[in-house]
Amino acid sequence: MAEPAPTTDPGLLLMISLASGPKHGHAMLLDIADFAGVRLGPGTLYGALSRLEDEGHVAPLPNEGRRRPYRLTPGGRRALERRLGGLNRAVRTGLQRVGA
Amino acid sequence: MARHGSRGRLLLRCYPATWRRRYGDELLDLLSEDPLTARVVVDVAATGLALRLRAARAALQGDTVMTIRPAWRHPTAFAVIGALLILPTFLFVAASLLSYELGFTAIREAVAPIQATITSVRAFDLFLVLAPALAALAAIAPLLRLGWERREGTLQAVLTVRALAFNLAVGILAIALGGVLIWHIVVESVLQAGA
Repeated sequence: MAEPAPTTDPGLLLMISLASGPKHGHAMLLDIADFAGVRLGPGTLYGALSRLEDEGHVAPLPNEGRRRPYRLTPGGRRALERRLGGLNRAVRTGLQRVGA
Repeated sequence: MARHGSRGRLLLRCYPATWRRRYGDELLDLLSEDPLTARVVVDVAATGLALRLRAARAALQGDTVMTIRPAWRHPTAFAVIGALLILPTFLFVAASLLSYELGFTAIREAVAPIQATITSVRAFDLFLVLAPALAALAAIAPLLRLGWERREGTLQAVLTVRALAFNLAVGILAIALGGVLIWHIVVESVLQAGA
């Protein structure tokens, strides 16, 4: 049986992808499929990307040819750390309770 | 980039205009990377509609301005569609008036078989009656813009109407033609009831 995806939240997956460095849309999709096993659709990706840009968590970089890369902002990195810290606590608690 | 060209641009219509201006080219570029499968089409369309709903909700809360402007940017194209829609009804009514009301027998003999065919097929008949209403709608819709905005703490609807000669001419002609048809149908019904 395939291993379940750690999360399907596109915003979280996108920030985790950008935490390793700036990427354009297609590179983000490939990276997310690689580390989470989740195939995000192009609409889902850009919907999440525009929301994160509105919130100031990601920012665009100058175009590279036809593609525009995005980076995680310092505020986005702090938001990601808080989010992952909360998830980590939940995971630890869950694992303790199931005795794993 | 042009791999899915017109289909990609059609899908982009699902998104709010401001969003399209900012991210449209990037999303089209991403769509050109892979085949446009049903899953991708549903994903792109659903996200666009969700963003439209979010924009509408923000407008109703007074965060942004929301406008409904059907066909505002293509008034002439819609007027032409309206004109084409009423053309068959116009020809039908004009031929009927000339042949039966004004007594042009040559026209009556020429159009009688065509009129018999049209009136015997229910769909043609229905189209001739509905066409003026559809044409008026197509011609007049681009003249209207309805917006919601928050002023001094209250949500207000603002209706903008513009006058474009071609659209107005087609709209008025369609309404007049619809009126003539309805008058003709009513008179015919009354005469038939009396007989």
